[in-house]
Formats: sequence, C-alpha cells, structure tokens
Amino acid sequence: MAQDLDLPQLRQRLASGDGPAFWRSLDALAGTEAFQAYLRTEFPGAVPLAQGPERRGFLKLMAASFALAGLSACDAFDGRGREVPYVVQPERIVAGAPLAYATSALFDGFANGIQVTTRNGRPLKVEGNPDHPWSRGGTDVLGQASVLGLYDPFRSQAVQHLGRPAAWSAFRGALLARLAVLRETGGAGFHLLTGPVTSPALAAEIDRLRSAYPGLRWHVSQTVPRDGLYDGARQAYGRPLETQFRFEAARTLVSLDGDFLDVGPGQVGLSRRWIDARRAAQAEGRLLTLHAAAPTPGLTSVKADHTLAAGSDDLARLAADLLRIAEGAPPQPVAETADGPRAAWLRRAGAALLAARGRGLVTAGIGQPAAVHALVHRINGALGNTGTTVVHTAPVPVSGAEDVSALIEAMAGGRVGTLLMLGVNPVYEGSGELAFAEHLARVPFKIHAGTYFDETAAHADWHLPLAHPLESWGDARSLDGTVGLIQPTVAPLYGGRSAHEILTLFGSESPEPETPAREGPERGLGLLKRQWRRPGEDAAAFEARFAEALRLGFLPDTALPMESVALTGRVADPVPASAAEDRAAADRIEAVFRPDPCVWDGASADLGWLQELPKPLTKVVWENVVAVSPRLAERLHLVTGDVVAVEANGRRLEGAAWILPGQAAHTVTLTLGYGRRVPDHLAQGLGYDAQALRPAATPYRLPDVTLTKTGRRARPVTTQDLGTMQGHDFVRVQALGAPSVGDPPGAVVPSFYAAPPSAGRGAASADAGARAGRAWGMVIDLDACIGCNACLTACQSENNIPVVGREEVARGRWMNWLRVDRYYAGDLDAPDTHFQPVPCMHCEAAPCELGCPVEATVHDSEGLNLQVYNRCIGTRTCQSYCPYKVRRFNYLDYTGGMAPVAQQQRNPDVTVRARGVMEKCTYCLQRIAGARIDAAKDAHAPIPDGTVETACQGACPTRAIVFGDLSDSSSKVAAARRDPRNYALLGELNTRPRTTYLASLAPGAEPGREG
Amino acid sequence: MAQLFAPGADALLRLALLSGAALIAGGAVLVAGIARSDYVTGVGIAPAQPVPFSHKHHSGELGIDCRYCHTTVETQATAGLPPTQTCMTCHSQIWTGSDMLKPVRDSYASGEPLRWVRLNKLPQYVYYNHSVHVTKGIGCSTCHGDVTTMQMTYRANAFEMQFCLDCHQAPERWVRTPDQVWNMNWSPPANQATLGPQLVAKNHIHGGDRLLECGICHR
Repeated sequence: MAQDLDLPQLRQRLASGDGPAFWRSLDALAGTEAFQAYLRTEFPGAVPLAQGPERRGFLKLMAASFALAGLSACDAFDGRGREVPYVVQPERIVAGAPLAYATSALFDGFANGIQVTTRNGRPLKVEGNPDHPWSRGGTDVLGQASVLGLYDPFRSQAVQHLGRPAAWSAFRGALLARLAVLRETGGAGFHLLTGPVTSPALAAEIDRLRSAYPGLRWHVSQTVPRDGLYDGARQAYGRPLETQFRFEAARTLVSLDGDFLDVGPGQVGLSRRWIDARRAAQAEGRLLTLHAAAPTPGLTSVKADHTLAAGSDDLARLAADLLRIAEGAPPQPVAETADGPRAAWLRRAGAALLAARGRGLVTAGIGQPAAVHALVHRINGALGNTGTTVVHTAPVPVSGAEDVSALIEAMAGGRVGTLLMLGVNPVYEGSGELAFAEHLARVPFKIHAGTYFDETAAHADWHLPLAHPLESWGDARSLDGTVGLIQPTVAPLYGGRSAHEILTLFGSESPEPETPAREGPERGLGLLKRQWRRPGEDAAAFEARFAEALRLGFLPDTALPMESVALTGRVADPVPASAAEDRAAADRIEAVFRPDPCVWDGASADLGWLQELPKPLTKVVWENVVAVSPRLAERLHLVTGDVVAVEANGRRLEGAAWILPGQAAHTVTLTLGYGRRVPDHLAQGLGYDAQALRPAATPYRLPDVTLTKTGRRARPVTTQDLGTMQGHDFVRVQALGAPSVGDPPGAVVPSFYAAPPSAGRGAASADAGARAGRAWGMVIDLDACIGCNACLTACQSENNIPVVGREEVARGRWMNWLRVDRYYAGDLDAPDTHFQPVPCMHCEAAPCELGCPVEATVHDSEGLNLQVYNRCIGTRTCQSYCPYKVRRFNYLDYTGGMAPVAQQQRNPDVTVRARGVMEKCTYCLQRIAGARIDAAKDAHAPIPDGTVETACQGACPTRAIVFGDLSDSSSKVAAARRDPRNYALLGELNTRPRTTYLASLAPGAEPGREG
Repeated sequence: MAQLFAPGADALLRLALLSGAALIAGGAVLVAGIARSDYVTGVGIAPAQPVPFSHKHHSGELGIDCRYCHTTVETQATAGLPPTQTCMTCHSQIWTGSDMLKPVRDSYASGEPLRWVRLNKLPQYVYYNHSVHVTKGIGCSTCHGDVTTMQMTYRANAFEMQFCLDCHQAPERWVRTPDQVWNMNWSPPANQATLGPQLVAKNHIHGGDRLLECGICHR
C-alpha cells in the first residue's frame, strides 16, 4: 500500500519526464517494494497474510454468494440420484432449453430494458434487450447482479410483526381495523413513503388510494436525489424538466461534473448514444471532444479528452465564466495565472463551444446544485444548443409527492397515525441530520415493505416482504420516458408481493379473500392490464397488443414528447467569489457525496458480486474510502490507509483515506451505500456511513469540513496492482492526425490454424480443407471502454465465478476472469485515465501450455486456449508462465457449501470448479459449443457472424468488445483487426494473442480537427 | 556371541519382501478391478423404480418409437423424460385398474411427479448433447444397449472417458444411416468398412482430431 510515499518527489519525477508514461498506482509510480512484489508474482508474498477468514464472516459469505455443491444433494439416494419429470409438461418449457423473457431492470425507479434467460423455469442470466429504444442492448452492473438478488437468501422471507414471523392474513386483519378508522377520518394522518415512482401503474394505484383517503400525504425518499436537475430547470425555464441529450448532433461536449457515463439510471442509454456519436465523428475524421471539469473523478470526467479538477465553488464559477463567454463577454479573472490549467481548460472549452455554436452540448450532473444547472441551461440557450443537442421533456418521475422533511415535520408534530414505507429504507437512506428513526418511534402504526429486513424494518411494527422485480408484474419508465414492462420470470420465491399488490390491500375496494401466494402475480397482471387497456378498447385487440408489448418488453412509442422551452428572465448570477475570498477558501476543505459506483445507494449491498467488484477508479473492494487529493495528502501528511475523521456541524465519521489522482485539491469525496447496520447481513459493518455527515438541504456537498488523522491505519483492500504486467505500451493512445500507433498491418498474423496444417503446431489432419477452420478472436476498443464493470458482473454471472471475500482478495486471490486495468498517465493532480479490460488473450503461442505437466491447458483447432479442469492438478505453473496474469486459482473450496437457493443461479452449461483447480476466461466456450452444435446439426452450415456473443460483449453498454471468427474476413472482429489502431498487448513476446486492442483516441496537435 | 538370525532368516525376509510386493500389486489390481466392476459402474444393474416400467414391452413388443416419450432427443442436449401425462395418454384407456400403474395414476391425480432412479449419469464437467449425436448418425443402442430386450432397464455401458473416446477416435465404426439410428438391435453391416467413412464424410464428422479436443466435451 502507499505508505510513506514522497509525493513531491513523484510529482517532480513525472514533470521531468523521467517516470513511466502509464502507471496504475502511486506505488507503481514510486516503484515501492510492495509493488515490485506484485510485478514479480501474481500472489505477492509481500502482502502480509491477513488473519484467516473469521468463521462467522466466512459463513455469511457462503450463505450469500458462494457457488454450489452441484446437484450433489440429489445424489444422496443410493448413489444414483433421481430424475424427476413434470406431471404435465408446461407449455413452452423444454427441459434444458433456454427461454428468455423481456422485462425491465429497475435503477432507482428508472427502467432499463433487459432479457432474462431462464432454464427449466429458473432465471439464470440477464442480457440486454437490443430492441429497447432506451437501453439498446446494454446493461449495467446492478442490472446484471439483479439475478443474484433474486436468489439472495438474505432477502426478507416472511411477514413480521414486531420482529416475529406472522402471516399475510394477520397483517390484513390488523390493517382492516386500522383502515376502518382511516376511512371515517378521510385518511387524516395517513402517510405513504415511496422511492421515486416512474411507474404509471403504481402512480395510478397511488391516485386511487388518494381518492379513497383524501387526507393521504405521499412522500418520496431517495438516497441519490435528482432534485438539482429539476430545480435548475425550474430556475431557467419556470418548470421542472428532464434534459435529454442528442450527442449525434453535437460537435463538442462540455461537462461540468456531468455524469452521463457514470453508473446511474441513465448510464446504459446515455453511454451508448455517446459512443455512437463519437464513432460517427471518428468515421468523419473528427473527434467528439469531451471537456470535463469535476471536483472528484468519475467515469465521465476521466473519459474526457480535456480534464480539469475543480472544487465545487470553482465549478460554479466556471459555469458562470462559460456563460459569459457564450454571451460574448470575457470571463471573470480569477486568482490564477493565465497559463494555469484552469485558464487553459476554460479557454479551450469556451473556444470549442463558440466554434460549434448550436452544435455544442453543455451538461452538469446530479451532484451539482440547481444554480449550476440553471447556468448550464442558459449557456446552452445562449449558444443555440437548446433544441438541437439538448432537448427537454417533462420529468420522468411522477410528480405530486412531498419530500421527506415534510414527513419528518409531521412525525415530529405527532400528526402521523399510519405510515406505509413502500420499498424504501429511510432510517438508513436519510441524512443523519433528519434522525428519521427517532421521529419514527412516535408513529403508532408503521408498516415497512421491502425486499430486505433492513434498518427501517427493525423500527417498524409490521414488515412485509416485497417481491423482487424479477418475480413481479409492473411497469416503469426509462430516462427517455419509454414505458418498460416488468414481467415475472419465476413465481415469488419467498412469498413476496409487489408494491402494486401491497397498495391494493389498502384500497377501498372490498377485500378479496386471502389465498396463497400464487394468486399474487395474477393480481399484479390484472392491475397492469387495467392500467394499459385503452378506454373502449376491444378485449381481444388489447390482449394482442399487450402480448406483443410483453414480447418486446416495452410499450412502443411511449417516449415523452419534446417540450418547447423558453428561458425566463435572468435572476442574479450566483456571485462568484472574489480573489481574496478565493485565497481564504483555499484552506477550506469541502466534502462531496457521491453514490458508490458498485453498490450505488447500498440497497443492493448484500450482493457479493457487487461487493467484490473493484470500484472503477480506486479498485477498492468490500468497502468505501475517503478520497483525498495528492495535494491535501501532502498538506496533512496523509498516506493511503490512514484512518481519518471527517467532522462538520458536530457530527463525524471515520474512514480510510485514499489518495486519488485527479481529485480537486481541497475536496474529499465520501461515498454512499456503506456502513449498513443490519445484523448478520453481508454488508453489515463494511466501510463508513456517509449519511452521518450528509446535510439534508444540500445532499451532495458540505462546504466546510475538518479532516484529522486519527493515527490509526486501515488496510483498504484493492485490486489495482493485481495482474501487474512486465513490459511497456500496455495502453496506446492514438492522437487524431498523428502517425498510427497500432501494430503495422501484417504484424498480427490472423491465425495459425486457418493456415495449411504444416504451418500449425502438430495440427496434422488428413482433411484440413474440410474442417470448419474457425479462428475465434476478440477486439476491445479502449476508446469505447468507460470502465463501468458491466462486463465483469456479466462474466461472473455466466461463468459461475465464486465470490471469495475480503480477506482472500487481500491475499490476491480475486477470482474474476476478466479484470479492468486502470492506468494513469501524466500529472499526479490531473492525470489522463485509461481503462483496459484484460481477459485471457488466447495466445496462439501460449506460454501457459508449455508449463503444464499434465497438459491440462491445451489448444483446440479453433484457436481456443482450453483449461481442462478434470486434468488440472494445481501446480500453478501455467499461472507463473502467463505474461498477462489472467489465470485464477482456487486456493480454497470457494464453491462448496453455498445456500441451496443461491446455487440455483448457476449456469448449468459451465463446470463449477473445485479446490485446487486453475481457471480462466474461456471466451464463453459454452456459447461457442452451443453455436457449433447448432451449426453441425444444420448440415455444417457456417456460424453467421454475431451468433456467438460472449457474456462480456453482450453486457457492454458501449459495445467496446467485438468477438467472432477472424478467418471470416467479412466478420466484425476481422474488420476491427484491420483498424489501424489495432495492437496486441505485449505483442513483442510473440505470443500471438487472439485478443487485441484498439488504441484510445485523443485530440490531435492540430486544434482545427477537434470539435 | 550367539547368532542373531537363524539360518532361515534370509529366506523369511525374501518371502516377506516378495509377498509385500505381491500384496501391493494385487491390491492395485483389486482396486482397479473393483473400480471397473459392474458393482461400481452400475452396468447391468436394474434398480427398483417407482413403476416397474418395461422397455422390452413398450419399445420391443409394442414397437413404440423412442421419440414418443424421449421427445427432445433430436433437438436438445437431453433426450427428455416423459411427463406423467404421456403415460396417461394410453393408461387412461388401458390397464386403468392395474396395481402396477397406481403410482402413475396417483401422480397424475395429485400433481406429485414420479421420481425415477437415474441410470445414466456423466460427471458434471462433461457436457453430452443427444441431438448432435443422433443427427450425425449415432444410434441410441450404441450407448444405451438394446433396451428392447430389457425387462427392467439397466445401464448398458460404463460411461467412462475411454468409452466416449473409442467412438470419437473412429466414428466410422459406429455411424449409421439415418433410418438405422432408432434401430435397437443394429449391428454393423457387412459393408461398414466402406459405408462408415462415406457417412463420416457426408456428415462432416471429424473423428480422430477435432472430436478428440478437450473443449468438445469439457467446458
């Protein structure tokens, strides 16, 4: 870890050009002993062995997210097992055949179109829905992991009354007595608390409830609110609006802490639109330049071509300056020399925007206050971008709800008699300032419905299990307004009910008799049909239309219409601080709050896949850290791992510091989603709870905090140095108009195997001409990779990759087959950042194959480097021979003893590996084999390009990964290989990797060519 | 000083060494023998089933096609086991009162599935696909034996790797014309030596090289 690094010296080394061009951590830059150990071996001895996994923690892990014991349970009977056919074969279910349903994954209430593959009735894998107008086939980490959430044994499994198991009928009985009173009083004192609602059906249900109880008050609680966006539009246009981007019309992009590539409800759709526009620009020889300024690096700002680290105050001033430039006035002078990075960034961004009048795009993210959003609207207006690159629609979430503070006020006043908390966890989610739990104690009848028995459930009188989205009916809108349908892929595993169904329990309609859980989904379907049947529509016509919508997964043409907008009169600019104030502010430390890029708001924090997913920039797993800038670390003599106390307004939290290159000098970043307090859950006690410090009024920022060293040291577990390779030019950057940095054409020989047999190694065959002659290969476009990790989660889901736990990761025993390396280049304070996904290279001349004493790793004639688990004896020689360090070893029995319910998620087409066995990326061999068998049955028809899609490729929202047959010159992958940007990683070793990369793009020296 | 060892000690030592070696060798043979025995591999052993279903009667005597019950054998990896409903298509009309068929009727009435004892099982790291084998001309009886003679069904072959490799090495010895795939008492015709290679070429079967690659069966 970064201990006792001499930061000024590192900075000097970089400035002098003496340091490495690309570096993956501060340790790497300094060349510390610890880093050298990572370089020499995959599992460095220099990582002190942590304590053995604590038994309790280990058991928790096994219950949650470990892999299976196969069907060994069935083996128990006379050693043969049983075969159990259906009694009546259900329609459409063919034993063993995959069956996919189109549905929607929910992200903070917003929908992304997905397809869920089921086998024998069990949902196994989430794929993108290519027909969905918003998500266009991409997925994100939360969507991919939702299938694990379905089986999660931690999910709430029963109705509970005061912490004791009860029945739905008991709740119904208690409720009926209560409802009688409420009906008399017109619902006075009845409050409903939900998350953001985009679902028209749920909104209709709430409306019905409101008409039954006119006194009902509805509140919305959200950990990651989008209020800044809507309030900003209100300031600029007089009403709340959703902003939609048309990247394809843009020539230049300016992001003021924008987040269109960051994990969030918009990531899947927006990143796809961005990369499509960037690729179209590249085809025309342009670069769709992105200028980004941000207080803390995020996926959007690190992907930018021109990045600036700017504190929140400075960001507001930058927005004001850009507005002045847009209006033709000079920017306000600030206390910085004209050639400083800020001035240079502003000059460049301003010039680009002016040059691209009407075709520029300025954006700000959820983390920015309304004032900055209002300024952004005005900049876009002044430049004529509004209506071309930036259009507006009505807000997607249903309006009409009050906020949580109104509820707190009512609770404090004792005016809340009945509180239904539907799918929210306000005790954890709310700002610590609100002290929700204390006020909640004053409510006489409080009901919590959630997928977990969480912090709020523990404070409620009644807890109701909420059905998982993969087992309920419903609908939700995407960020563009498209209505996605949600259909169950399996009957509720734990007897949960959907939010719609729970609301109907409160309805005024006469209560139907309670019947077992099977009736639940039927009722959900009825509600959904009631919502979408047009008045007077013929029943048969509706059924046909609805069936088609279910097949598609969405209702076509439901995107919200564009609204015409006009800027309202100018209110005063937010007053930019004067130079003197600036200097005073220089010593002040601000804290910004950001959702976690893996677990987001913490609602899915019990999923081991998400916990073990390295955060895109820090590569930290299983916890959150306090990100500090290198400057601040120098000033306070901090090193990574120092436990720091962050204090403000009499409240404090403690977390491990992390020196984050690219962080604004006086900004610390606190991430949400950790510090969960649910007993015995996987997420309990991991990291710190940023809510303790979070102000209710400005949820993303605290302008003044104190940061002190506690003197203790923690050891945040990171994977950033795992898989450090020896060599150079790992990532390459292609400047526009510069000579090609790719491998010269012909340097990468397409295939050993398509060549005559004499050229191949021992591939002698009598009928080489008749063989299929396929040569599988992969090309990864580094320019498109945004580091979002969707590929990792998809791979984990497809290939039964175990979760190993924090202690094992600390020992370097992280198991994911695919890693995304993050490299920095240049200045410590404002580095360029590059992501590089590294799967197995499937080298044609694979070093690993030379080392294996039992030939457990061998080549096949299609160029796949196979790993034969049942041959492997665990010498790990192959691992030490692999220059790419992509092989993973099962040091322990990571897959045994997993909860039976969670075993059901496993892909039956992929072997579950045992202890002592080496494993690695197979190019999704099971998918290739499936396509091969289909082709073989079809008279050996060629496999059409695109038939085989690897899991990582299918998940990628920016289509950065291309896979296919290199011997077919018309295939997409062969075309990608012909791209002049194509290069082989460590090609100088002559391993002839089948996986190659396309160099990242950068602005050229000629300024005219970029937008 | 008296002799420590009697004159016969040498002989005893030799005997002990020899018998020790013989024991080790014999033990190895015994272990290997047991591992290959029908007792362990289950070959030829017909376990008690919930219903004493006879392939001999249904498939042999009545001539019901394999695919009437094993419906997915031509399209899926697994051949498929018939749902209770399939049994009842006939047995709601004939032998409706038979004691032997009581479990079938009970299953259909109660919705509780029949739980058959599994006969053929591969290790979990082996992926076998029925559909591609029957499409390419490998008949049922090559692996499952002549079930038309089995009163109670048993495993006909120990599905060890050698068994699979024998065929993947030289498929021309086993491949049949499409009309013979379902023939349970098929034996190689006299012209198999010429017919086999023709069928192999026609069906694009790459025995001996492609089919011996690990990734064909192991994933």
